Amino acid sequence: MHIKVKELVGENAMTLDDGEAIYSRIHAPLTLGETVELDFDGVQVFASPFFNAGIGRLLGGDLTTEMLNSRLRFDHLSDFGARVLRRVIENAKDYYAAPADQRSEIDRIVHDNAVAA
Amino acid sequence: MAALTVFVPRLNDELWDAQQLVVIWHQVEQAGDGAEVSFDFSRCGFLRPNAVAFLGGLARLIQHRGGKVLLLSATLSGAVRANLHQNGFAHAMGADTPAWQGNAIPYQEYLTEDKDKIIESLKRDWLGRGWINLSPELANRISGQTWEIFANAFEHSKTPVGVFCCGQYMPKRKELLLAVADFGVGIPSNVRIYLQNPSMSACDAMCWAFTGGHTTQPQQTFPRGLGLELLKTFVRKANGVMRVFSHDGRAKIDPQGETYENTESFFEGTLVQIRLLCDDKHYMLSEESAENNETPFF
Repeated sequence: MHIKVKELVGENAMTLDDGEAIYSRIHAPLTLGETVELDFDGVQVFASPFFNAGIGRLLGGDLTTEMLNSRLRFDHLSDFGARVLRRVIENAKDYYAAPADQRSEIDRIVHDNAVAA
Repeated sequence: MAALTVFVPRLNDELWDAQQLVVIWHQVEQAGDGAEVSFDFSRCGFLRPNAVAFLGGLARLIQHRGGKVLLLSATLSGAVRANLHQNGFAHAMGADTPAWQGNAIPYQEYLTEDKDKIIESLKRDWLGRGWINLSPELANRISGQTWEIFANAFEHSKTPVGVFCCGQYMPKRKELLLAVADFGVGIPSNVRIYLQNPSMSACDAMCWAFTGGHTTQPQQTFPRGLGLELLKTFVRKANGVMRVFSHDGRAKIDPQGETYENTESFFEGTLVQIRLLCDDKHYMLSEESAENNETPFF
């Protein structure tokens, strides 16, 4: 599967919604073993919310780092985009390395606060 | 309807100046909803972009609460008048004169997280005026890093009236200034709610928020919280200075380090101001070129 990121999010890949647009298209194919090429040709500006929502969360499911390294390719990603992506992935690994019950507790507290707000 | 006249002092972008903005915020709060607030500039010799962004946002907050704002144009001195007309603040407050190009980076109001509009403005009005010699890639990078301020404001502050920004080029010091203000939930308050720790000090809360991987984003279902850390790293590597005033805390980031302190008084919102040197040698971030592209991402 070849995805032109610019066609989905424009030349600024920055928001959570941008990331969600990517995640929703690549998660299932990756889980099924398909190879996905994310083509960033024409995408100029990157920010962490985009990569958090689109890529970092891939580490929270059944996909291992080995699977992701072999199945997900990033083409025409700028040096800066690559830097942000690497930092996001590093952060995601730390997050998902925390015990599941600890993460669930964090999510529960945040959810309760959101409901109460 | 209560009537209030706010005497705007001379406002730079140091700590004392931020404290004066907080004083003004308190005056407006005490006047209550529906107040008629007049901004008098007769005591103001000049004001920096942080003050412009703050006062613009405060004006919209007053209006949002059913009040009325009057910019007393007759009290504007020549330099302040030129500044506020040039950057578009006066026009946004009802003056007929549109903004014009000069050393000012336009005063802007963003009601929604319009990424393309914000990035276009940053690249065109702030970085694209020829004051700083940047490659397109570096301009994209700085825009993306600066966006983290806006993303933080929209995602975390729950601001009722939007996000406000203004900038300026300082030709003698060869510096670019940018200030972003919102009047939503401040960073310390967000952190206290998230951590369920109402007694947490503001400086501790600010420090927590600027640490990588920490986020107060509700309904988090995936890792977040890198925006402020990335911005902090960028400002330090670029030999810039970032000051953040939020609720009852403040932070200062510069190449020498980072400091977090409590403030005696608070305002409901966040003011971020960054100062960057217009010398491209400061943006030669060596580790970028040393990046090993062959290393697997995951």
